[in-house]
Amino acid sequence: MLIFDQVHYYYRKGQPLLASVSFEIQEGEFVAIVGGNGSGKSTLARLMNGLLQPREGEVRLGHLSTRNTDDLIKIREQVGLVFQSPDDQFITTSVLDEVVFGLENLRVPREEMSVRVKQALRAVQMEDYAEAMPHKLSGGQKQRTAIASILAMRPRILVFDEATSMLDPQGRSQVLSVMHELHRQGMTIIHITHHMDEVLEAERVLLLNGGAIAFDGTPPELFRTGTLADHPLDQPFAVRLQHALGLNTGLKADWKEMIRTQWPTS
Amino acid sequence: MAYELKQVSVSLAGREVLRDISCTLQEGKWISIIGPTGAGKSTFAKVIKGLIPAYKGEYTLHRQPLPGDSKGRMKAVREIGYVFQYPEQQIFETTVYKELTFGPKMLGHSRGRIEEALEPVLRQVGLPAEILSASPLVLSGGQKRRVAIASVLITDPKLLILDEPTAGLDPLSRQALLQMLREWQQANHRTVLFISHQMEDVAEYSDEVMVFHEGQLLGHSDPGTLFMKNTEILRRAGLPLPEPVQLLRLVEELSGRTIEVDSCRERDIFDKVRLVWEARGLHHDE
Ligand SMILES: Nc1ncnc2c1ncn2[C@@H]1O[C@H](COP(=O)(O)OP(=O)(O)OP(=O)(O)O)[C@@H](O)[C@H]1O
Ligand SMILES: [Mg+2]
Repeated sequence: MLIFDQVHYYYRKGQPLLASVSFEIQEGEFVAIVGGNGSGKSTLARLMNGLLQPREGEVRLGHLSTRNTDDLIKIREQVGLVFQSPDDQFITTSVLDEVVFGLENLRVPREEMSVRVKQALRAVQMEDYAEAMPHKLSGGQKQRTAIASILAMRPRILVFDEATSMLDPQGRSQVLSVMHELHRQGMTIIHITHHMDEVLEAERVLLLNGGAIAFDGTPPELFRTGTLADHPLDQPFAVRLQHALGLNTGLKADWKEMIRTQWPTS
Repeated sequence: MAYELKQVSVSLAGREVLRDISCTLQEGKWISIIGPTGAGKSTFAKVIKGLIPAYKGEYTLHRQPLPGDSKGRMKAVREIGYVFQYPEQQIFETTVYKELTFGPKMLGHSRGRIEEALEPVLRQVGLPAEILSASPLVLSGGQKRRVAIASVLITDPKLLILDEPTAGLDPLSRQALLQMLREWQQANHRTVLFISHQMEDVAEYSDEVMVFHEGQLLGHSDPGTLFMKNTEILRRAGLPLPEPVQLLRLVEELSGRTIEVDSCRERDIFDKVRLVWEARGLHHDE
């Protein structure tokens, strides 16, 4: 559904950043994107929703192309970007207004607006906080509100660019569980992250290195093969644990279950 | 030599964000600060750096009270370096070079000393020399973070405050940075105040840990005590145990025996757990 077709990109001529990047993401997939600092992950995210244009090649969403100015509005509606949550990301003074704000720019009719806002807040489990003021919210609640604002625009794909990196442990797990819940309901999720434990929970992982896709496969494949050694990544806890215990049975993000099932029952 | 707070409280915009904090930050220690968002961690760090002059209580640096006048205060806290939570809060110059030389210039370091310090500090944070001419605005998230850290490290602070310094760094850089900082701190007998959400990093690197919750200091101890003995404090603050400690508890539960470990570092826990793991079949036949 989302297609990168031999995409080249540079910010400054003569300094190529992405060279002939091609991949395809299907509707309903949960894809993690990893890579070192400066490898071009955020650039990839911006290319996905047309904030940036490929210098060569094409980015397509179904039959729409980011090269086509007429398609751009639709693409930006359909591909939502969620960023790191800075302290001051709120523009308005309540959770509800924050979600309404984004829709006003889309000129959605009033009645439909309130339906969408309600649904979006419910999806991130923030409906009880609609009137809450931003400074009263925890980091996780703020980030969930940001997700709701984007959901209200009814995107088909959500791209999270390090959306969990500034959150405390509780906020992180709240946002991750929202991501997985949305995925269960059929949403396509693209998750850019430096946390390998989070990568293990994705269905597929793309590794960006030297301007190209250096790996495209399942997380256990990535962590099992030697690929990792050549990249600025590390092993998730579950994999380090497997090595320490000499386990080579199926790798699971839930390492506790992995340990339990390996324990003899009397 | 130490930084000492006695019954310090801070109110911001009518809200009490720090309540009755008493503590001593000993020189030469790596002190980690944990707590959920809004617990007062950054505010505490700002008090230490003299950025919040309107506090109640007492703050002394090496037994000298923090001066009330802004000039005296600035002089007293010059030895303290502060890497803010968001690089955008501290990066203002138009090139990385200007950003890195700004701090040392303000401290009156000579031109020669500054030029000499550039290359090593770039290497410490893992940035290439070419980046000096770049505008910080166009850098990636992780690159900005490194510039922010380098620009403070180059001033050679006695006390280094790091507010979430590893957020946004790729895994390898994160490990390298923490190791580099730990070596720097120990080799030069510096003090580090490390604010972090990563319990695993805190368990791995700290001499002491302070737990904040709703403006209060719930506990201040060595990491072993906090993560393995007196874990009630952690629960009250709504924080998880580091993963290696969770593993330890799980294996204890499954094996029905207590595993003695005197460190909460991953390697040490793996070593102990492995023994119980390997004996798990035999254990049941006993
Ligand atoms: N607006 C810009 N102008 C010029 N160069 C840029 C611009 N934005 C990014 N770059 C450069 O492009 C490269 C890739 O940046 P990008 O932000 O895509 O990396 P990233 O993979 O997201 O990194 P990180 O993990 O640090 O977030 C970096 O070298 C960066 O300095
Ligand atoms: Mg990025």
